[in-house]
Amino acid sequence: MSEETRRTEKPALGHLFWWFMFAQGGGLAALVIPVHILVQGILGPLGGVPVVDRHYDTWVSILSNPIVKLYLLVLISLPFFHFAHRLRYLLVDLGVRAAKRLWVQWLFYGAAVLVTIITIWVLLTTAPISLSLG
Amino acid sequence: MSSEADSSTHVATRAYKPGMSTGWWTRKRHYFWYMVREFTALPLALWLLWLLVEIKRAGDGPSRYHPHSSTGFVIFSVICFGFALYHSITFLSLAGVIIHLKTLDRPVPPRAIVWVMFLLWLAASIVIGAVLIGFGR
Repeated sequence: MSEETRRTEKPALGHLFWWFMFAQGGGLAALVIPVHILVQGILGPLGGVPVVDRHYDTWVSILSNPIVKLYLLVLISLPFFHFAHRLRYLLVDLGVRAAKRLWVQWLFYGAAVLVTIITIWVLLTTAPISLSLG
Repeated sequence: MSSEADSSTHVATRAYKPGMSTGWWTRKRHYFWYMVREFTALPLALWLLWLLVEIKRAGDGPSRYHPHSSTGFVIFSVICFGFALYHSITFLSLAGVIIHLKTLDRPVPPRAIVWVMFLLWLAASIVIGAVLIGFGR
């Protein structure tokens, strides 16, 4: 087996990772984002139903739960890996050839990583971790 | 044969550059909705960033926390909700093409996989909705 053949047979772990994040982010966004927007973005502000983020005490209370923090981290960060891919290809489809370049890939996927880091920081600094709810 | 092969290898090759106008997606309805599907990422990203800001604002203390209630915010959310539904429907509908499962050595029909995904969406929405409303006052 030649050196070149051996090189091409290596698993593309980078591609595997980014496609995995794209698929999981897209799936999660499809399953849970609509209900968050409906309840927290529409029904809550309209006053139709009591929503957890409408009052400071209920909001901080639920935000302090470690399971909720973990859920919010996944909810916010994972879809951004999906969005990064879709928005980059939206630019490609609109004829922006530069969107295929490596630095643009760094920019878009780097933004998803940055959102993940900021989300971790926000969740760790906003409400002290507590196991009680309500 | 060898001389032919040799001569063919010396022919200068040019990379194929497909010519595509920037407005190609406006020509057919199918293309347009494909681009809308790609675009759904932007409003959803903006709404999630708003959620992150809302979480951050909870750290400012009770006197400075005022949840958004403006008409503009509700309109923004309604628009995002439309895009979110479109993302969900198009993404989950593709599950039958992407996911390949076998039970008892027989492939699960794609339509069954799509049904399961839509039921999962319904179940997740009920559970999350119940938590968001149930812990409110």
